[in-house]
Amino acid sequence: MKQLVNSTFDWLDSRTGIKELLHEALYERVPGGARWRYVWGSTLVVAFVTQAITGIFLWMAYSPSTQTAWESVFYIQEEMSGGWFLRGLHHYMASMMVILLAIHFVQVVWDGAYRAPRELNFVLGLVLMLIVLGLSLTGYLLPWDQKGYWATSVGTELASQTPVVGAEVKKLAVGGSSYGHHTLTRFFALHAGVLPGALVAFLALHLALFRKHGLTPKEPIKRPDEMFWPDQMMKDCIAACAILLAVSVTTWYTHGAELTAPADPANNYAAARPEWYFLFLFQFLKWFPGELEVWGAFVIPGLIVGVMFLMPWIGRWKVGHFFNVAFLVVLLGGAGFLTLQAIQDDNLAGSADATFEDSGLADTPENRAAFTASVEFLKAKEEGHYNAERAIGLAKSKGIPPTGALTLVYDDPYLQGPKLFAQNCSSCHNYLDRENPDPALASLVNENPTAPNLFGIGSRQWIEGLLDPEQVSGPDYFGYAGSPFAADGDYSEMVSFVQEDCFGGELTSNQREAVRATLKKVAVALSAEAKLPTQAATDAQDSQLIAEGRALIEGGLADLLESGSSCTDCHTFGEQQDIGSPVLDGYMSRRWMIDFIRNPADERFYGEMNDRMPAFAPHGDEKLNQLDDKSLGLIVDWLRGDWVRPEEE
Amino acid sequence: MPKRRKKQQTETGSKREDEVAGSAGSNRRSFIAILTGGLATLAPIGAGIWSFLSPLFRKAETPQVRVALLNQVPDDGRPYFFPVVADRKDAWTQYEGQKVGAVYLLRQPGEQTPIAFTAKCPHAGCSIGYSAAEEKFKCPCHTSSFNTDGSRVNGDDEVAPRDMDTLEVELSEQASADGKTVTEVLVTFVDFQTGHKEKKPSA
Repeated sequence: MKQLVNSTFDWLDSRTGIKELLHEALYERVPGGARWRYVWGSTLVVAFVTQAITGIFLWMAYSPSTQTAWESVFYIQEEMSGGWFLRGLHHYMASMMVILLAIHFVQVVWDGAYRAPRELNFVLGLVLMLIVLGLSLTGYLLPWDQKGYWATSVGTELASQTPVVGAEVKKLAVGGSSYGHHTLTRFFALHAGVLPGALVAFLALHLALFRKHGLTPKEPIKRPDEMFWPDQMMKDCIAACAILLAVSVTTWYTHGAELTAPADPANNYAAARPEWYFLFLFQFLKWFPGELEVWGAFVIPGLIVGVMFLMPWIGRWKVGHFFNVAFLVVLLGGAGFLTLQAIQDDNLAGSADATFEDSGLADTPENRAAFTASVEFLKAKEEGHYNAERAIGLAKSKGIPPTGALTLVYDDPYLQGPKLFAQNCSSCHNYLDRENPDPALASLVNENPTAPNLFGIGSRQWIEGLLDPEQVSGPDYFGYAGSPFAADGDYSEMVSFVQEDCFGGELTSNQREAVRATLKKVAVALSAEAKLPTQAATDAQDSQLIAEGRALIEGGLADLLESGSSCTDCHTFGEQQDIGSPVLDGYMSRRWMIDFIRNPADERFYGEMNDRMPAFAPHGDEKLNQLDDKSLGLIVDWLRGDWVRPEEE
Repeated sequence: MPKRRKKQQTETGSKREDEVAGSAGSNRRSFIAILTGGLATLAPIGAGIWSFLSPLFRKAETPQVRVALLNQVPDDGRPYFFPVVADRKDAWTQYEGQKVGAVYLLRQPGEQTPIAFTAKCPHAGCSIGYSAAEEKFKCPCHTSSFNTDGSRVNGDDEVAPRDMDTLEVELSEQASADGKTVTEVLVTFVDFQTGHKEKKPSA
């Protein structure tokens, strides 16, 4: 067997010269012996190889277009076996690579390893560093999620400030005048083709020159030389393992890289920040107001990189070397400081619902501005998580339509309802769950409403409240400011029906309870008209109760109440048609609510009693309406709790 | 190298002919080799760059968009936010009714025509928010802030290089089915370059 292997190897060698090649590659003398401090360059190679391998496997599942990029990354992350781990490795190794680059760079400068004859290799190393940063920059956009999209768009806007050719540079980077398919295809081609290709080429040169000049040993050499194979190689490989272990553990612990909601060009993500190792640049830019930005974005970084390239020549003199080391210390210290400052600025408020008064900060306009900015950031971040979770949940439970995941987001009442409500309804209406307030919807709370609270509208509980003598004249129903339906208003019939006709006179507590029980049946029957999806099961169960309630509404109530009044004295319902409005058939059903919002002054609804609510969509041509048909549907679906609940499926 | 070659040739062939053919021909062949080799390399690169530059030859569209009805913008001097919805083409995909941006409309008391500000920050293109409590526009990215008239709160000390960009506004009366007229607010939605003192369309 051994003989066969040997003879095969000999044959191969005679055709290729592989023995000499291997010897050349592995049997290199390491002056002063193998050391742990020589591993950093090798770990960078390992990091790059990891990126190439994981990158190619990600490539097999990734599709760069605006309708498929987020979608394919979602699929990798959530559906493919091991996808989250693969993506996580790629993500965290990118960060690791930047750390390793910094270590390698510091070591080379510190040791003066850039001195003759290694100047060119130092320059090659810097080129490699720029390529790695380019890879990181281009990779950040590829998931086409809110974070990557908005962070990168700030980056390309900066590119447009390149002196003279800025606008053209930006157009070429973006592949058009705005972000789209070609932004992705271009960034992907750079990320997976051009930059890795360049990296391989420069890395080959870097390694060739490294071999030509050898490593820079620590003088004076005290120990005997060792061979690269296996002495140094063993240390390199152990280091490589440690690096991969660290990255794997991080991936495992965080369950992979974050995927925020699908990129939405119309809704800015205020918490968009670049990757942590670019934060210092982001923070640095805040120092350069207005036209000076070009200094922060190009001139100063350009000068710094320029000095870095000149280091081998500056370092020819002893003073020059000290300058280089000092420069590096200041540079890294400054970058570290700016990074911390950026993080601190963003988290100044501590939490999204913090108030300036409780922060203990001195009351200056600067502090106030900084505090508000931080609250905005934290709020946006919270909302971002919420949106991402929802988008992923929808994609998982409903699948993604051909138009992409953004359609899921735009068509989702749960996500769009609150926004539309805030824009169109909340200046008058309150939306507040009094028993269990949702902090995420705190912005919909109207402290001084001039219209009813719409939380839980159409539900049994909501209608029971309407039929409650205290609540009906409270702010959640007809007791809001200036209400024409209040006890002292022009149209006080409903309030007086509940307070006088149902609960008026001298009722014993037993009688009051009896009235309550009767009205509860009315509420159940009326609520069944809404056909709320959240109540479908209980409605089906309570068919007997609903039938009794219907009979009460249709006139049966008159026989039970001392006043002899009933709903159909005023309202049209069931067999009692053409009585009056608002019509109770289909009360708070989807159709009823949509028609109501279209025109509340319609004779089926409040007619001339409507004194304040605008007709949101009275025109046949939806372009002439304040609310288009789709937004109308979304608001109604949201108010009715009619949305997909992934956790229940 | 050429010398040695000439010597060999002298030894083997006719001296006069080889000298001429060797030197003159060698130059010519080098020239042709460099030319054709260069062309062969440049042709695909040229073809690539030609198509790579294609975005430079396309002009951006500046659609006139109906963003609101006039009665949605009360003349109370406060800005109201409206998304800009227009048809948009992204390479091969035709989108109908897409949100392409957002504007703030603001009407001073007694004024008929609102002022329109694009929500895109003139600094780095983030989307500007409005704080009703402070009555200021605030950019979430680099903390630029603007007064309700679009001017920068701190003037030239603000991070943003210029005041908020205004857009051209036109009012249009439309008869609706029920015999009433509605007034639409039309905005010419232009995307402006960021980071400069002057307001220049992105083109």
